[in-house]
Amino acid sequence: MKTRVLGLVALTAVVAVTLVALFVVPPDRNQGDAQRIMYPHVASAWLAYLSFGVTALAGIGWLWKRDLRLDAVAHAAAEIGVMFTAFAIWGGMMWGRPIWGVFWQWEDPRLTTTALLLALYVGYLLLRRLTDDPERRATRAAIVGIVAAIDIPIVHFSVEWWRGLHQTATIGSPDRVLNPAAPGIFVGTLFGTLAAFTLTWLYLMIRRYQLARAELAREEARRIDVLMSARTAEVAR
Amino acid sequence: MSNLRTEARVALAVARKDAVAELHGRHATVSTLFFAAVVLLLFGFALGPDAARLAAAAPGMLWLAVVFAGILAVNRLHLLETDDGALEQLALYPVSRRAIYAGKALGGFAVMLLLGVVVLGTVGVLFAVDIAGAWLPLLVTVVLGAAGVAAVGTFYAGVTVRLRAREVMLPLLMLPVLAPLLLGAVKATSAALTGDPFGELGAWLQLLVAFDIIMVVAGAATYGYLLEDG
Amino acid sequence: MTDAGYVLAAYAVIIGGLALYTGTLWRRLRSARRRDDEAR
Repeated sequence: MKTRVLGLVALTAVVAVTLVALFVVPPDRNQGDAQRIMYPHVASAWLAYLSFGVTALAGIGWLWKRDLRLDAVAHAAAEIGVMFTAFAIWGGMMWGRPIWGVFWQWEDPRLTTTALLLALYVGYLLLRRLTDDPERRATRAAIVGIVAAIDIPIVHFSVEWWRGLHQTATIGSPDRVLNPAAPGIFVGTLFGTLAAFTLTWLYLMIRRYQLARAELAREEARRIDVLMSARTAEVAR
Repeated sequence: MSNLRTEARVALAVARKDAVAELHGRHATVSTLFFAAVVLLLFGFALGPDAARLAAAAPGMLWLAVVFAGILAVNRLHLLETDDGALEQLALYPVSRRAIYAGKALGGFAVMLLLGVVVLGTVGVLFAVDIAGAWLPLLVTVVLGAAGVAAVGTFYAGVTVRLRAREVMLPLLMLPVLAPLLLGAVKATSAALTGDPFGELGAWLQLLVAFDIIMVVAGAATYGYLLEDG
Repeated sequence: MTDAGYVLAAYAVIIGGLALYTGTLWRRLRSARRRDDEAR
């Protein structure tokens, strides 16, 4: 199966890139070993945003086409997105402690935006769980997912403003690893991690989508069961 | 075929219907106001008694009280519909969904505005901040903040109106989305009260305006889908 | 904790988390498909 091959390739890539990031890449001049955390942290953040973009687009697709398969995509993307968001926050905290001296920094727009991202999409998943009818669930989820996606740039922008008005010199900024002028091995490892993680994301998306379809089918079968037994009971009288 | 005037008329009719229902059950609105006052009192106990610290925290406490009480207010405005299936009945009429949303949000805005003004006055008294000196920018902030909470709250109240565990889901969905509004309103209030030393008041008010417009548009565009599917 | 500790903590949770999620995903898929077969 093609998906299985994808999975194996993704696994190999992740293992390879982790080994490189931990043992091959030299420590950063300013940030030391802590800089290594940036690779999975940035990759996770990227995949979180990608996931929620997919959730919003799939939601729009559902509202437009009324195809439950699109809703299944939205669900899969949201669940995987929440996972990567949690990873991004964790990575940010593990990086922050050695660099800033604290686990949390209110003035870092990325960290606070990501925390809000987590809150928004955990709410999305809970909303889904509390609605039983598939079409109503899909509609509610779609509009909540769309508004959440619209909110994210506003949040990021406002937190940046918040920080901008209290300019404090930060010795370590997560941005440094994204600088294209950085030494080749840093940039290369970053792109490698991005690629490996994205392949993993793709594999997980396919599997989670399959699971969502299977669960939908089971829901449908159960509903038919209930209808049939009610019918049989009626006929028996 | 709806044109703008018909839509406006529908919106006002919906808002008036809600207002009449509210007036008849005045106790509910008064209770919400008292809830906000109690929240402020508790903030006083939690963060006090140092007057300087309370004065510095006043803008934050003001808007948290408004947002928390706002949750109750928008929740109630939608409860009015479920009791007798009125929401479905509304949906049967050949009127624009946008107009129905606008009407409900308008009603919410009226309540939030009242709430905001009352909380503002209470904060002035409880935490010794000079409201009168900066009353105009403060009023503008309250108007913009109330609009944002109403727009977002009405939307999510519609989403959760027939949802299990509604009492916790409404705030859980609403509050993260309101984060930028909270930030902007608190910073604007703080700037207004301190005489705007960094000249940031305008920027924060712009953020509030942008937030309000975006959320009203998003809410109006998507609210209709709720009515179709229930 | 030295810097290395934080690096390890970060990678352990992220890579480990991915592995854990993948594992539970497989389990859920297996269970959902098995029930489908039983129902037929």
